[in-house]
Formats: sequence, C-alpha cells, structure tokens
Amino acid sequence: MIIRPRGEDIKIIGYYLGKIILGLAFIMVVPIGVSLIFGETNPLFDFLIAFEISLAFGIILTWICKTEKDLSWMQGMIVVSLSWIVATLLGALPFYLSGHWQSYLDACFDAMSGFATTGLALVQDLDHLSYAHNFWRHLIMFVGGQGIVIVALSFLVKGFSGAFKMYMGEARDERIMPNVIHSSRFIWLVSIVYLLLGTVVLGLTGMMLGMKPLNAFFHGACIFMAAFDTGGFAPQSQNILYYHSFAFEIITIIIMVLGALNFKLHYHLWMGNRKEVLRNIETKALFFSVVVTFSVVAVGLLQAGVYPGAMTLLRKGFYQLISGHTGTGFQTVYAMQFKNDWSQLSTVGLICAMGLGGAVCSTTGAIKMLRVGIVWKALLEDVKRIILPERAVVVQKFHHVKEVFLEDKQVRSALLVTLIYLGLYCFGALVGMFLGYPFLDSLFESTSAAANVGLSCGITNSAMPGVLKVTYMLQMWAGRLEFMSIFTLIGFFVALCKGK
Amino acid sequence: MRLKVITTSLLGIAAEIGYALTLILAAFFICILLSGKI
Repeated sequence: MIIRPRGEDIKIIGYYLGKIILGLAFIMVVPIGVSLIFGETNPLFDFLIAFEISLAFGIILTWICKTEKDLSWMQGMIVVSLSWIVATLLGALPFYLSGHWQSYLDACFDAMSGFATTGLALVQDLDHLSYAHNFWRHLIMFVGGQGIVIVALSFLVKGFSGAFKMYMGEARDERIMPNVIHSSRFIWLVSIVYLLLGTVVLGLTGMMLGMKPLNAFFHGACIFMAAFDTGGFAPQSQNILYYHSFAFEIITIIIMVLGALNFKLHYHLWMGNRKEVLRNIETKALFFSVVVTFSVVAVGLLQAGVYPGAMTLLRKGFYQLISGHTGTGFQTVYAMQFKNDWSQLSTVGLICAMGLGGAVCSTTGAIKMLRVGIVWKALLEDVKRIILPERAVVVQKFHHVKEVFLEDKQVRSALLVTLIYLGLYCFGALVGMFLGYPFLDSLFESTSAAANVGLSCGITNSAMPGVLKVTYMLQMWAGRLEFMSIFTLIGFFVALCKGK
Repeated sequence: MRLKVITTSLLGIAAEIGYALTLILAAFFICILLSGKI
C-alpha cells in the first residue's frame, strides 16, 4: 500500500525549498553589482525585478512553512529535485526580461543549461548582450557546478542531518570530510582559490591578446567559471574560437581538467598526499579513456584529411575531445563543422568521450570515471575467475584515496547508473530522430545534453521544436542530479495521487 | 605553520596542473605518431 504524504512533509519541503530560493535571490545581487559597475540601466532593473520576486517567494515560503524539524531522506531528495526546477524558473527571469531570448521557454532552457553546467544555448545576438546578463549566464554555471544545494548548505542550513540528505541528493556520492557542511565549504574554498588564480591568468592572457584590462578580466572571470565548472558558455558567440589563441586554449584545457577532478582528490592533494594523483582509480581511468577516445577521434580526422598537421590536430581534435570528455562544451570549431567536416568515426569517438565524463564528486555529468573503473575491475575479476583454478580465491581491489575491496553492491550500483545514462542518451536520440534529424546528429546532441556537455552539431537553436527543447531540459536535469532524487520526486507525486 | 600549509596546498595545485599537462603531452605524442602514419 502506498502511503499518502502528510501535510507536515509538504511543510518541511516548502521550508527548505524557501531557504534555497533565498540563497538564489542573494546570488542575484552579484549581477546587480556588475550592472552598476558597467553603468547598464535596463539590465539593472531586470535583475532588481528578478531579485525582488525571488526574495518575496523565498520569504513567503519559509514563513508559511516554518518548521524546526529536520529533513527525512525522501524530503531531502524532493527538495533537491524541486530546487533545480525553481532555480531554473527564477533564474530565467532576467534572461527573458532582457529581450535576447525569443520566449520564456528559451530563457528557461538557457537557465537550466547554465545551472546544470551543460552549455547548450538559445540566446539571440549574444555578442551584444549586456555585461550583467552575460555575467549571470556564467555565474549560474558556477553556482550550479558547486551545486545549488551546496550554496544553501554552506550559508543557510544549520541542521547536520538534513544537510547530509540534500548533499547526497545532489549527486555528491562522497563526503570530503566527516562533516558535510565542512565538505561544502571546502568545495567553495577550492573553487574560489582557482577562480582567483584562473581569472588573473586568463585576464593577463587576454590583455596580451590586445583586450582592454576591464574587458580582459571580465572575459577571464566568465571563461574561468565556465571552464572550471565544466559548463561551456562563453561571452562571445564564437565561443573559444573568438580568442584565436593557443595559450588561451592550453590554459582552458588545464582548467577543464581541474574541474573534472574529484573534490575529494583536490582535498587529499592539497593536504600533501600528492601520490594520490598517480594511484587514484579515477585519474588512471580518465587518462586511459582520454588516450583511447582521442586516438579514435584522431584516426577519424586524419582519414578524412581535415586537420593534417600534428599541431592542428591537437588544437582542433584534442580540444573538442577534452572539452567533451570533461563535460565542458567549449568549442574551437563551428557547430556545422562536426556535421560537414568531421568523419563519422571521429564523431562517434567524441560521443563516447562525452558519454563517459569526468570524476564523481566533481562538476561534470555523465557516467563518470569511478563507475567506469569499477566496471573494468569487475570485468577483470570475472576473467580471472575463469582463468584461475576453481579453488582459487579471487579478490579485486582498487585505489580511491584508500585501498577498497571490490564488492558486488558497488558493481551493481555502477552498472545500474551506467545503464540509466545509456537509456537517457538513447531517449533523446529517439526524440530527435522522431522529429526528423539524422541518427548521428540526434545521438550527438542528446548525449551532449544528458551528459551536461554542451557541444553542439547544430541541432540546438531557437528554431528547433519545443518538444526537443523540453526533452533536452529534462535530460540536463536528470543527468545532473543522477536520477535518484528525480525518481523520488516522481514517487512522491504518485503517492500524493494514489496514496491512502 | 601557516607557511607550511600554504606551501603544501601550492604543491597540491602543482600536482593537479602537472596531471593536466601530462594529458596534453600524451595527446600531442598521439598527434605526432598518427599524423606521420595516416
């Protein structure tokens, strides 16, 4: 028998959701400051309106639903999944008010793409977008990359138990420290330290390329936020191609790889355990996976004769590959080049890289390297069982901060999530094909959306069917939260309707 | 004490950047190897 949720459940969910909305409202103060610095009047009012609506919504919700009770697992999961929808709806307000998005759905698409660190965009005339709106596009990536809930955990939530449930619900499989609020603050520490370093390095590079100092550092901050949080938005419509700089490309590759590493790994490296980078299953799997997928892409590109020289192959082939593998979505080629210039082999190599992703507890989406490593180890274990004598005891272990013995439940969990991701990639591809797009293009764009990458072969534009926009939004949402909190939300609504 | 913490963290950052540079070098090696053969 399904038990109908009580009014108390809805009250607790509403209270914590209200707190997260308040956190979002306070983040909107940043673009308000940017519009004041650059003297942009209309964007200032766009953000003031969105700020007031969010603030009022957050205050009313926390006031109506005020409670001292802590969250249960179910409530925590529901708060997480709902907070991403509400953040999308409220975060899209300044976009829509700017007039650069054709409809509110388009604005929501870009807001979801930003929060989920995907990078697919429907914005019109990006090159003339205000500084404040452009900064907001990148800031929501930064917030979404850390996790919307992490923001609330760091500053607004006091209870330890409820905080832990929301933290786990936001696809953070691992705690960095025993206390989850300290873990959240460490995630912010890493991000802020790298934000300062990255902005300075990118800003100085921009100045060397001839940009004015204020503009160079604005671009530096935006590009850093999009790269470290594996987002993929850029201030200009030509994305990273706009800069035409090898130095810029190398720096962004480094930042993308840093963003794709596990925050737990960052913690251990920063604490002096530097050998971990060589021993960790995720860094090994990522290295191996990048080498294999890039070899496939490179062979495909060389066969097609697109980039014949080694340096061009690195700057075009490897850049898109690492951008896809880390789930970033920065491009140094035009979207149509994937369709017209790249061979099918290289496109398939890139789709595989996008589908695999970076490390768990990082800012990337997709299947992720820990799961790939676990499945690989499980395969080795089974092969050993066949080869070795029947009486031999086969024990498989892997190194992830410490030596971990491989257990069936880890393999089951890894395979289950992998299977759901593959299903999600196929679902978007089927919708794309149903709407008349070719198979490979549909699979490319679907994987890019569901794995929160943001590379596009040209399907994503404001003229595409509304059904496809909604499908990609759902894929981005599901891919970012890794399903469990979404399944809980569905279960909650079923219980509301059918429960007794 | 604080200097030691900062130095250790900076060495950690260097290790992470080193890892990223190794990936780029490996890719460049693949580019040289394959572009000469195909």
